[in-house]
Amino acid sequence: MSLVEIKDLTVHYPIRSGFWNRITDSVKAVDGISFNIEAGETYGLVGESGSGKSTTGKSVVGLEKVTSGSIMYKGKDITKKANRKSLDYNHDVQMIFQDSLSSLNPRKRIEDIIAEPLRNFEHLDKNEEKLRVLQLLDIVGLDADALYKYPHQFSGGQRQRIGVARAVATNPKLIIADEPVSALDLSVQAQVLNFMKKIQREFGISYLFISHDLGVVRHMCNNIAIMNNGRLVEIGTKDDIYNHPMHIYTKRLLAAIPETNVNNRAEHRAKRLKVEEIYREQKDKYYDKDGLAYPLVQITPTHSVALPEDLVDQLKHEGEVQA
Amino acid sequence: MWKTILRRILIMIPEVIILSILVFLLAKAMPGDPFTGSINPKADPAQLHHLMKINGLYDPWYQQYWNWVVHLFHGNLGNSYQYQEPVTRLIGSRAVNTLWLALFTTVLTYCFALPMGMYAAKHEGKLPDSIIRVYTYVTFCIPFFVILVIGVWIFGYVLGWFPTTGSISSTANPGLPSIGSRFYHILLPGVLGALFGTVNVVQYLRSEVIDAKRSDYVRTARSKGVPEKDIYRHHIFRNSLLPIAAFAGYSITGLLNGSLFTETVFSYPGMGLLFINSISYRDYTVITALVLIYGILNLLGTLLSDIILSIVDPRIRIQ
Amino acid sequence: MEENLNRHSKISAADLERLSKEAQDEATPSSAKIIWSEFKADKPAMVALVIVIGFILFVMIASLFINTPKMMETDIMNYNASPGTNGFLLGADTGGRSVGQQLIVGARNSIGIAIGLTVISSTFGICWGLISGYFNGYIDWGMQRVYDFMMMLPMTMMIIVLVTIIKNYNAVTLTLIFSIFYWEGTSRLIRSRTLSESEKDYVAAAKTSGTSNFKIIFKEIMPNISSLIIVDTTLSFAENIGVETGLSYLGFGLPIQTPSLGTLIANANDPNNITQYWWTWLPAALLIIVLCLSISYIGQVVRRSADASQRHGIDA
Repeated sequence: MSLVEIKDLTVHYPIRSGFWNRITDSVKAVDGISFNIEAGETYGLVGESGSGKSTTGKSVVGLEKVTSGSIMYKGKDITKKANRKSLDYNHDVQMIFQDSLSSLNPRKRIEDIIAEPLRNFEHLDKNEEKLRVLQLLDIVGLDADALYKYPHQFSGGQRQRIGVARAVATNPKLIIADEPVSALDLSVQAQVLNFMKKIQREFGISYLFISHDLGVVRHMCNNIAIMNNGRLVEIGTKDDIYNHPMHIYTKRLLAAIPETNVNNRAEHRAKRLKVEEIYREQKDKYYDKDGLAYPLVQITPTHSVALPEDLVDQLKHEGEVQA
Repeated sequence: MWKTILRRILIMIPEVIILSILVFLLAKAMPGDPFTGSINPKADPAQLHHLMKINGLYDPWYQQYWNWVVHLFHGNLGNSYQYQEPVTRLIGSRAVNTLWLALFTTVLTYCFALPMGMYAAKHEGKLPDSIIRVYTYVTFCIPFFVILVIGVWIFGYVLGWFPTTGSISSTANPGLPSIGSRFYHILLPGVLGALFGTVNVVQYLRSEVIDAKRSDYVRTARSKGVPEKDIYRHHIFRNSLLPIAAFAGYSITGLLNGSLFTETVFSYPGMGLLFINSISYRDYTVITALVLIYGILNLLGTLLSDIILSIVDPRIRIQ
Repeated sequence: MEENLNRHSKISAADLERLSKEAQDEATPSSAKIIWSEFKADKPAMVALVIVIGFILFVMIASLFINTPKMMETDIMNYNASPGTNGFLLGADTGGRSVGQQLIVGARNSIGIAIGLTVISSTFGICWGLISGYFNGYIDWGMQRVYDFMMMLPMTMMIIVLVTIIKNYNAVTLTLIFSIFYWEGTSRLIRSRTLSESEKDYVAAAKTSGTSNFKIIFKEIMPNISSLIIVDTTLSFAENIGVETGLSYLGFGLPIQTPSLGTLIANANDPNNITQYWWTWLPAALLIIVLCLSISYIGQVVRRSADASQRHGIDA
């Protein structure tokens, strides 16, 4: 059994209009997606901004009101508030936010910030709690004198590590990391990511790693889902996605990864432009008439792609020929 | 746009109904009755009883309320017990005085506040800005009635420049002299109200203009070489004007509230003074009518402001 | 978790005392302390603060030594005695009553009511704004409709009507009546700040940390708008002095036998008093002006200090 099973999750925001302000339409932020997160793995959820990946993450941690579908954890559907309460769900599932400054209360000292989940879920005595906070700070590489300081006194990378320490405090099973490093400098990104990896190894935590940056995701994740306009377009292992991408949207995202090798600049540029041209030509084939992705079709046991049946056969054939 | 306005008006209806019930019940709950004092003090209790009865004062409250509402829709607000005159006519003559004063004060307030706000914004952070800020705060935080009393003392009594009571001189001839006399009577209260009521407009205009100053379109205009004077006149001021105009609606609430004090200090026969007098005489019909009118005027004021703002700012419309 | 942590962190219970002492030495002062030290640096503001607090204490204590019913007795002999005569430092009014003593007792009453009104209406307005802004949706909608309705009511008129209905009212009932109508400004201000504050991620983080809504509102969001609350409360205190005195001036505030700064100013309604016997009302008017100016000046400086402490926060 997987740690968390997400099934047909939809989150719609109502659009009110008309004279009585009635709900006349809805924005389909998340539109029927399903995937499973296994214990101990890092699951990547990738998409451009507005694709619904953050909404998905917030739904999994229980911050978003879900329209329909289910998120099963320990055999219970945690989209219902009562179930979240009875399971002490957020003891086991925590979140790291994108904006480290806004996610730490500016008026609270670091001790109180990290101890917040501890105070709510584990009722420790004062010294135990302080010790726990000190150890957590140590684990994310911060000194004890951070204890009585305020968030604004730290750099972005340090703050994000404080955010990580808070998320880890109750030793959760799953942490939703919503673009945890995209607001940081490249050098600091690697540092924070390494801390996250180290913590995963030591505490056996799963991550739902939400990002728009396929380069970072490659560094972190075993399994990846690509999201586009509220729907999943491709699910697979790291190998499936990076080496055998099938959906045109995935290919396009991959082409957008910046290349560090400057020597072949012109070549890369040509390649990118080609992918872009193919995307423009073949867009209609890959999306239905409303411009939305098709339902997922399984290609291999690990790899599924959102394609119409005929296209799947064609692509499979091409793949075999190539192989 | 029209839908927004219509919806706002629909929301207003229950508010007005609740207000009318509230006002009616409060007036009923006031002690005393309008007859005990108004007839011969030794009046026969039976006669009093009869008077109460024919005026419907013994009916259950909802019955009385209903009668009142039905009459209301016929434009009949009842008779003033104190003045023995239909309330509509009584209030009508007073309302004109109050509204003239309010209009004069508003116009004057804008005359003072607009240049001040523009000037403060133009010299943001410099001496004129600080002086204007201190001025608006000083005028804002002193209770207005104290200003009125001191004003009428200095300019009315000590210097004798302005009349201290009434809305028109009894000796003024009809025609132009009477208009002049009316204007002479509202001059001091109007100027005082305007001088001490600038804070909202000045501060709002100042922040609007400062925002506009830093906006891209002004920077573009400046880089194109548009003269500074034209930038202020055509680009900044025009854009800030409508939101400022919207304040006029909101300020109605303040002006009406202030009318109680202004009219008491200057013995100016408007609705505020009428209300104060009617309270002492337990003149229910006048009291209920006045509270209702003031409430509805407040509503219309905010409605006006909201409409202006929704024209200016589409974000408000969507809500 | 504990074993896990002990395994991966070299810090153990033995280091606790040493480390927390180290951290204590490095502790950053709280923003309240920063605001206070910024405020202290402003000499005129300190003078204003000392004057206001000193004056309030003075009238509170001095009025204990004044026998109010005796003071309010009419004394024809001293009809409008001018200042300095017959032992009346500030003269006497039409009833031969000492203006100086009335000023002290009246100031105590007016300031007391203003303080009570500020405490009640600000508390209520802050809670209303916080709750309305934090819970979006139906709760907010309903609370907004109540707010709209209250805004429509002609405040002063409603208070006058209520005062005439209630037969035996005193300072406490009067304060409560005022409080019904004077929370809106605060609540609107607090609500709009709460709305933007609730959008921030630290609120979401508190939710996922299992903190209850009640605690999020009052322990997470409220400290973040505390400087706004302090400034607004100070300024509404200055404003509230005008509320009671204004009503008393019109004759619908404190009962006639209870002096107030407003009833003293009401002496000016008599054309004789206003011109000839200026001492019956002018001191009270000047006192109100000075009080309101100093209090709102303090409010201005608090605002500046709060802004400065915020700057301090961002710069550090």
